[in-house]
Amino acid sequence: MASKTAAKDIITLRGSAAIVSEFFGVVWYSILYNRAVYPEESFARVKKYGLPMLLTKDEGVKSFISNLNAQLSEWLEAGKLQRVVLVIMSMNTGEVLERWNFSIETDNEVVEKGVSREKSDKEIMREIQAIMRQIASSITYLPCLDEQCVFDVLAYTDTDVAVPFTWMESSDAKLIANPQMVKLHSFDTKIHKVNTLVSYKNDEEELDDEE
Amino acid sequence: MILRTPAPKRARPIEPAPIIESPPVGSDHRQLAIYEDPSSAGPARREPSQQSEHMLCTYQCRQMVKADFLDALSNAEKQVQDYQSKLAELNDNFGKADEERKTFREKLSYVEQELAAAKGREQALHDQLLKEVNDSHERLKKELELSAKLQAKLENEQNLRKKAESTAAAAEDKAKELEAKLGHISKSIEKEKKRFNNELAQLNRDSKFSITKITVDLEKMEFRAKSSEQEVELLRKQQEDLQSKFSECLHQKSELEKRLTSLSFEDDSPKESDILVKHLQEELRNYESEVREARKLKSAHDSIELMKEKLLEEKSRRERVELQLPKLQEYELKINKLEDELSAWKLMIQDIPGVSCCDDVPLRISALQKEVIDNLKKLGEVNAHLKQMQVVLDKTQLDKQKTETEAALAKEKADRLEAEVKRMNLMLSAVSEERNMLKIAIEDFKSKNEQAGGHASSSALQELESSLLKREPYIKELEGDLFAQKDINTRQQDEIKSLHDRLNSEARKVKSLERESDRLRSEIFLLESKLGHGDFSAANTKVLRMVNTLAVGNDAKQTIEALQSELQRTKEKLQALEEYKSQSGNSGKLVDSYMSGKVAQLKEQIATLEKREERYKTVFADRISVFRRACCELFGYKIVMDERQRPNGIPVTRFTLQSIYAMNDDEKLEFEYESGNTNIVENGYTSTSEISQQVDIFVRKMNSIPAFTANLTVESFNRRTLS
Repeated sequence: MASKTAAKDIITLRGSAAIVSEFFGVVWYSILYNRAVYPEESFARVKKYGLPMLLTKDEGVKSFISNLNAQLSEWLEAGKLQRVVLVIMSMNTGEVLERWNFSIETDNEVVEKGVSREKSDKEIMREIQAIMRQIASSITYLPCLDEQCVFDVLAYTDTDVAVPFTWMESSDAKLIANPQMVKLHSFDTKIHKVNTLVSYKNDEEELDDEE
Repeated sequence: MILRTPAPKRARPIEPAPIIESPPVGSDHRQLAIYEDPSSAGPARREPSQQSEHMLCTYQCRQMVKADFLDALSNAEKQVQDYQSKLAELNDNFGKADEERKTFREKLSYVEQELAAAKGREQALHDQLLKEVNDSHERLKKELELSAKLQAKLENEQNLRKKAESTAAAAEDKAKELEAKLGHISKSIEKEKKRFNNELAQLNRDSKFSITKITVDLEKMEFRAKSSEQEVELLRKQQEDLQSKFSECLHQKSELEKRLTSLSFEDDSPKESDILVKHLQEELRNYESEVREARKLKSAHDSIELMKEKLLEEKSRRERVELQLPKLQEYELKINKLEDELSAWKLMIQDIPGVSCCDDVPLRISALQKEVIDNLKKLGEVNAHLKQMQVVLDKTQLDKQKTETEAALAKEKADRLEAEVKRMNLMLSAVSEERNMLKIAIEDFKSKNEQAGGHASSSALQELESSLLKREPYIKELEGDLFAQKDINTRQQDEIKSLHDRLNSEARKVKSLERESDRLRSEIFLLESKLGHGDFSAANTKVLRMVNTLAVGNDAKQTIEALQSELQRTKEKLQALEEYKSQSGNSGKLVDSYMSGKVAQLKEQIATLEKREERYKTVFADRISVFRRACCELFGYKIVMDERQRPNGIPVTRFTLQSIYAMNDDEKLEFEYESGNTNIVENGYTSTSEISQQVDIFVRKMNSIPAFTANLTVESFNRRTLS
């Protein structure tokens, strides 16, 4: 029994926000690498969550993502962040090809009262590993991105959130018409639950248009 | 005793013989036959005449009486023996009856015990049954309430389902109509295909004919162009000659004018001068006419040049047409296909209700999509309700199974009770029969004992009777309880039947709820898909995006690259134009003007692009300077960055850091940055003992350049403040 009680770790709001923003910090790179948004040689191999992860060496991308994650961490601690979406678009036409949707459910009791929760770190790590593996295996069913692509990140927040200086409100949610959707695993820190879903442009429609 | 031969017997006078009665069996009073001696008899009876006879008679009578008495005695003895035997038999029977009584008593006590146990069991069963009945009543009530709610839901769902079915039927009818129309359309399309094929063949023939015409015209034009070229050459030569002549004339004219001016002053031979002037004027007129001709030739030359250009254009057009001829058929086929599709779509549009033109189609489609989505939503809701009902059905089925098992158990118990009751009834009937038999036997025995004078067995019989009488009310009570139990059992069976019926109806309701729950699940899936799609409510959510410096940078880079490529192209064009201009010379003034216009435009574009590039450069420079100043103020080092190339050709970025607290300009740190790795470069400053020590500790051992620079900053700050 002593080992069982020791396995559960106390998680605070700040700790949970740190875990989730760390996860985002790795998942953006994983998606950019697997979807070949940037060339392979611009990525360096590191070990994270017990798996070999690839982080970009491009300083511009690094700084962009680090600034992004810092802001996301702030919003997570305030419990204002509802969803984060990574959008992959065609460079030439600007058409949205894929949307990686991370919806976040926050335990408002923890935000309001400042209580903590208990969950094993290992279990959270296992859940994140499963998501990383699924992202890596997503290339088997996602359509090939033959053209040059760029990415953008959208944050769905509460309406009372003050817009930071380096952010702006966007009326365009960059949606895909009639997308195909695949729901992936989710992970839960007992304070923040992150659900993952990828929606992509229906390849069959393109084949029908070509025919 | 030996009797004498008796005298012959006389006929006795009929006299009343002394009556000798045999004593009854078992009676204590034994009565003796009293022989009255006639001698001793009173004189009243006998006459004195008959005394001798009387004496004889008395002896004979005595003998007779004695014989009779003996006979009677023997008979009485026999009777006594008989009675004794009978008494023994009766005693045996009495013993047997006693034993039987005892056994019956034991049986009775056993039966009583069993009865008491059965009563206790019955009471326990009764209590259990009551509890179960109460529980089942409560469950039934709850299920009834649930079923009432479910019924209401079911009615709603049935209405929705009816509506959905009606809409589906209407949609099916529409689809059938559309299919029929499509069939008609396909037939008409085939007919039109044939017609269009024929028209195509005609068009092909016409196009071939027009192509041959065009080729003939082109040949004519070529021939004309050749001839005009030849003329142009001739005219050019003439023009050159004329130009030379014109230049000579002009030269002469100028000389003559000079002479004229000089002559006008002298006035020696006015006539000769007049003649000269006249000659000169004539020559001038000739030359002017020649000049006019030359100008005409020049204009002709220009027109020839234009013709040449037109020729070239037409040649190029002809080449293009020839290249595109093989594609013509493909395009025609595509056109035919598109026309067919267009006509089909137009017919379809006419058939679609609520659509008058192509622009209405997307609106109609969006409206239909909305309707479909609403219907799907409703279907999903129904399915969800169905699933809920399914869950309730499962619960009720489980409850039903439980009640069925309980009812089966109760049935079994009731059956067992019935069997026990029957058994007890049988036992009671047997006991009562035995009792009756015993009663009869006891009565017989009583009567026989009364006859024989036996008193001992009657008390036992009375005791038996009393005990039997005591048991009778118990038996009656048991019978009453049995009847009550029977009634209860029948009532429970009726209740179980009604429960069964209700359960069946609820099972049906639950199936309908299962369907509703499926619908709700599909609706949930739709909502999840909408969430995944990215839909959001503007009342609760706003979408923010970070200013994507990567995209901006990429956009700027792309625009710069595009502008640079445009610049190169325009420069090449300019060079080509200038070469052409130099080749064509003065004769191409029109071409020059056209080209100069283009050149001016291109130059303007180049200027704007260059301005834009300079603006970008200034913006970047400003940003970089701001960043450098901020870094200097925050970290205390002036940073200078420059790109270098190693001998092996690999580009390397070098950073030179100078502390703001440095005592002199030689105190500089140099770092090389290559693919994410920063290395310190040794120079005169870092090779000093103090700095090299710090480099060893912070950079080489601890692998931390920020710690080294921070430590150096603090030391230089302390040095400055102390100094």
